[in-house]
Amino acid sequence: MENQFFLGDQGPPLDFGQSLSSPLSTAWQSLSSPMEIQATELNSTDYGLQFESALSSMVSSPVASNSNLSNESFMIRELIGKLGSIGGNSGEISPQPLIANSTNTSCYSTPLNSPPKLSLPLNTLVKEKLPRLGKSMGMNSSVTDFSADPGFAERAAKFSCFGSKSFNGRTSQLGLNDTSSPSPSLSPYRSNPLSSNRKIPRVSSSPSLNAMVIEPLQDRSELSHSQEESSITNGDPSLKPSKGTNSRKRKTVPKAKTNEISTSPSTNAPKGTESNEKRCKSTESNGNQNDSIKTEDDAKGNTKPPEPPKDYIHVRARRGQATDSHSLAERVRREKISERMKLLQNIVPGCNKVTGKALMLDEIINYVQSLQRQVEFLSMKLASVNTRLDFNMDGLMPKE
Amino acid sequence: MASMVTNPVTNANSDRTKRKKKKSMIMEDNHQSHARWKSEAQQQIYSSKLLQALSQVSLNTPSSSAPRGGRAVREAADRALAVAAKGRTRWSRAILTSRLKLKFRKQKRQRGAAVAAVTRSSCSKKPRFSVSKLKSKSLPAVQRKVKVLGRLVPGCRKQPLPIILEEATDYIAALEMQVRAMTTLAELLSGSGAASSGSALPPQSPPP
Repeated sequence: MENQFFLGDQGPPLDFGQSLSSPLSTAWQSLSSPMEIQATELNSTDYGLQFESALSSMVSSPVASNSNLSNESFMIRELIGKLGSIGGNSGEISPQPLIANSTNTSCYSTPLNSPPKLSLPLNTLVKEKLPRLGKSMGMNSSVTDFSADPGFAERAAKFSCFGSKSFNGRTSQLGLNDTSSPSPSLSPYRSNPLSSNRKIPRVSSSPSLNAMVIEPLQDRSELSHSQEESSITNGDPSLKPSKGTNSRKRKTVPKAKTNEISTSPSTNAPKGTESNEKRCKSTESNGNQNDSIKTEDDAKGNTKPPEPPKDYIHVRARRGQATDSHSLAERVRREKISERMKLLQNIVPGCNKVTGKALMLDEIINYVQSLQRQVEFLSMKLASVNTRLDFNMDGLMPKE
Repeated sequence: MASMVTNPVTNANSDRTKRKKKKSMIMEDNHQSHARWKSEAQQQIYSSKLLQALSQVSLNTPSSSAPRGGRAVREAADRALAVAAKGRTRWSRAILTSRLKLKFRKQKRQRGAAVAAVTRSSCSKKPRFSVSKLKSKSLPAVQRKVKVLGRLVPGCRKQPLPIILEEATDYIAALEMQVRAMTTLAELLSGSGAASSGSALPPQSPPP
């Protein structure tokens, strides 16, 4: 079974070099080779050990060998793309396995999340598992550079290698708090446990993750995720409870996104969501945009009616794309103008107290006119001085 | 499959970053332009150019096409400012090309003056006034003000609002620098003139 994980397909080597940062890529590459080695040795219950050792060897020896993990490679690439920006979330990102629907992949999800950071939260989590993982500890001795925490790899392995085994079984083995649905597919993003030991802190703590990740990962089962998250988040202090624990699949996403959007700078978030919508055309993105539009509308008093909350993917055609593109373009235009007006506000004295385009334009016009009059006056003065200084010009020029 | 899934995400990501970069670049440009005009070096460069232009104006007798006196100085100062802007902005380019346009317009005017003299006597001016009045009242306040601002900033008469705002930002910064430089220059020149000596110009200091 474990062998299937790692030896499933002799796929192309994981080419993470482009997408991953160097430490991650080396970790990944090194992971691939040891996985093969370890697969045979470890039993199913000790996925953690397996993974751990694999991780350790990977970290220590950056070998870009052919990985058996073609499936994993897909997941990994996905992860990489999405988690690239999540570096900051590493603390919360437990080594959740990337488990594809069909196969067991995602053993490598954890290393993507800035392993050194992972070690810290994992330390607390792992300590309880230490006695069980004594075997893996020995194997992890080589993991020096990967992280100071041997438990990290262990933990990562545990979570990553769930694969075919039922989630319930694994969680019980690992002593996780909640064992629920045995859905095998765990998206690594989801594994970033946000807050609670509850079932389902699906939404990752990173806003970027939410924005980027949630749409494609809709089909992943979040419940399983949450379980892992809950187990992992036990000792994780950095989890963000604000993200909320949503047991539902989709509702959490738009809500979380709206939360993010409302908090994040209004100009950036809507644009990001707008771009998302243009690209992904998923309901999630629509939901995001709508939510962002909603917040923006509230903020700007736009005429666009607030959209009802999107629940599921099939909310797609709700708002016509045409109107959206118009409103998008309009919003972009308005934001450009407001941005420039703000700059002018800083430059033109006395504009701070004034609000509204018309009054500000009045001020600006007055200011420009006064400056031009000043220039006129000074030029007259210079002209008069010039006539007097014609004969002195030669003395003045050389210094210039 | 996974790649397909990731692509939109990464694309969105990259697009987002691109948009953010664009925005930040715009912001940076504006900040830079303002900082640029505020710098001492820029002021000194401008002052030197202005002095050169002024010497040329004073040397050239105003018998040529250039207007006399203060107007010539004003135009010289504006041109020096446009040169200092290195032609990156619309208003600077408009200022630099305005002289040529004036020349052409003069020639046209001379040609058309004879024709116009004939036509004006026959046509009444009423319709023109009414049309202009209608125009001024029909537009909303903001639009009217935008037009006024567009007329004030050289070269921006028919530009849309965001461009006018951008140009106005740079133009205001440049005008402020021009005022500072000319004030300093006037003080120095008048001071040295009063001293009536060919003393070397001390390094310029910004007015308090």
